[in-house]
Amino acid sequence: MDIQNTQSQMRKGVLEFCILSIIRQGEVYPSDIVEKMKQANLYILEGTLYPLLTRLKNAELLTYRWVESSGGPPRKYFVMTEKGLAFYSELEHTWKELADAVHALTQPADQAQQDTNPNQL
Amino acid sequence: MKKVININFQGRIIPIEESAYDILRQYVDSLRKFFANEEGSDEIINDIEGRIAELFGETLKKGVTCITDDDVTRIIDSMGRPEDFDDDEARLKSQLGNEQKGPEPATADTSAAYASAEPRRLYRDENHKVLGGVCSGLANYFGIDPVIVRVLFLVGFFGFGIAFIPYIILWIAVPSTASTAIGSQRKRLFRDPDDKIIAGVCSGLAQYFGLNVWIPRLFFLIPFFTFIFRIGRWNIWDFNHFLSVSFSPGAIFVYTIMWMVLPEARSTADKLQMKGEKVDLNNIKNTIQGDMEGFKERAQQYFETEVKPKAEQFGQEFSSTVRQRGRQFSTEATSVARRGGRGLGDIIALFARIFAYFILGCVLFGLVAGLFALGVLFTGLLPAKEFILNNGWENIFAWGTLLLFIWVPVVGIVTLVIRRIARMRGNSRLIRSTFLALWLLGLLSFIGLLASLRNDFRYVNHHDEQNITLANPKVNKLELRLPSDGRYYGSHWFKIEPFTSFDDDTVFVQNMSVRVVKAIGDSFVLTVVKTAYGRTRKEADDQASRISYNVSQQDSVLLLDKGIAITANEKFRNQHILLTIAVPVGKHIKIHENIGWDHDIHVGFFDGDADW
Repeated sequence: MDIQNTQSQMRKGVLEFCILSIIRQGEVYPSDIVEKMKQANLYILEGTLYPLLTRLKNAELLTYRWVESSGGPPRKYFVMTEKGLAFYSELEHTWKELADAVHALTQPADQAQQDTNPNQL
Repeated sequence: MKKVININFQGRIIPIEESAYDILRQYVDSLRKFFANEEGSDEIINDIEGRIAELFGETLKKGVTCITDDDVTRIIDSMGRPEDFDDDEARLKSQLGNEQKGPEPATADTSAAYASAEPRRLYRDENHKVLGGVCSGLANYFGIDPVIVRVLFLVGFFGFGIAFIPYIILWIAVPSTASTAIGSQRKRLFRDPDDKIIAGVCSGLAQYFGLNVWIPRLFFLIPFFTFIFRIGRWNIWDFNHFLSVSFSPGAIFVYTIMWMVLPEARSTADKLQMKGEKVDLNNIKNTIQGDMEGFKERAQQYFETEVKPKAEQFGQEFSSTVRQRGRQFSTEATSVARRGGRGLGDIIALFARIFAYFILGCVLFGLVAGLFALGVLFTGLLPAKEFILNNGWENIFAWGTLLLFIWVPVVGIVTLVIRRIARMRGNSRLIRSTFLALWLLGLLSFIGLLASLRNDFRYVNHHDEQNITLANPKVNKLELRLPSDGRYYGSHWFKIEPFTSFDDDTVFVQNMSVRVVKAIGDSFVLTVVKTAYGRTRKEADDQASRISYNVSQQDSVLLLDKGIAITANEKFRNQHILLTIAVPVGKHIKIHENIGWDHDIHVGFFDGDADW
């Protein structure tokens, strides 16, 4: 079992949720998302973020508007749609359930490592 | 010393070192390839380019004169290379797909989601391969243990020797998982708008197969040439003519389908994909060689790590089972049964799947082939049309049936299959409903045609027997024969009963039967009955009376007409001649071979004395 692989899987699972929660707080520019996540110690490549945003936008969870910037190409600012909000609250619900479950399971053993990985059939 | 160039990047002029530009261009190309199959890939590339341009701007603002290799590398590192987000990509995507379906319990089945990232495609599994990765790829695709597939293939290899061929085919045809990695972009078939004469189908094909563009063009044109060269010289049932008639519409047909189905290579990414990696023998050889090199080690390793322990384990289990049979029989048996049951279930499921696909494939293939044959046959029958159908609606119905009822589904199914193979998206509903509507129209005209034809053949005429006087009815022996070298004689490789030959405005129908009965007196008696059908009794009578059929006599030989002549005005209404020959007891009748016993002559009765 490759620990790095497992760890990155664990992180990836919540990545989208985190991104949506950042956008939910207000209009953002993609590199701000990267910055905010970095502050929270979550690292994402911009090259991974853009396609994800495009997909979310194509799924009508997000929308964007162009904002002129000083001395650069116009920037795309992303904002959440109604559908996105509904989607987010579903995710939030699932996350809470999952967090509680993981917490309940790992607390007695006091060891919150790979056991939470659901990827074991 | 480095050369600095100016590039227009996302609407900004950027001074950049030439080597840095090369790095940047390679990076953007790799992104393009990576996102090529993605919906909205242009937008993603655009966004990333925009961000890079912004970062360039920031760098330049700091006062540097140009963008250097280091700057580009640093920016690329912060954006991430396709290799870095290769795996993550697939996973994120699949998660998105899953969650959109509905709030499933989040703990469920993430592994299934990983396995089925992307619309599921059959790949050769590069990571778990023994020979070419075909078996593990198949196992992955069907979600079963690779061991099962390997065993099946091995049984096929050694038991029957046939699994060899499908394995090789799959090896060549199925892309390796490695091909999804960057740099080994697979080719896709596009229409090439840059080098087109009609729609760019030929040039796209040329690009795909790495040929000179005139080669596919020639292939499409050959049928037309032969058709034109032969015009005015052809005979209606000539085989060559038949070929060119069916091939020139065939070429148009293929071209039109490809035109409809293939996308045009518009964007740069499309064009790159269109040229892509060469799909030639050399390439296939390289792949196979590469695979073969590691084969021995991998096979060894596979046996060491997988088979051997398993065999040992099995041996242990087996002996322990035998030893402890009495005590543990029930528990062991149930667990073994469960395990075995699962394996067996997998195999059965696999077979069921293969069987279902096989049947589906056969049905589709049969349908297309059947319809195609029917279409060619009907197209070939067109000359006969005017002898059967009335002008007006019937003609329209006939064309509707031919084009819409028979050819449209052929085109439709072929289109569907090609679109599926080429993984084309979009507009499929429109295309499907168009085909369906056209086909329904065809069905209506088919029904109309049948109804109308049914009407044409509704009534039969009044039968009345006519005596044909024989010159010397008291001869001892009478012989029946057709004129052996008559006007209408000829044998063609393709013969549609009951039509035997066509002239410009007359068709000859070989539709007669001969009946031999016992005569009452001592002389031969020959009677003829003409039958025909029509819309009304009167019409049927008219048709029957128009039949001209002659029997001429030379000594004791009766010469029969080879067929019934029908003109385009008269139409074919199943005109039929029934000759009845009454043979007196004790006399002989000989029916010449050229009449043929098989289907033209029906003997009702013959006297025991007859010999032939």
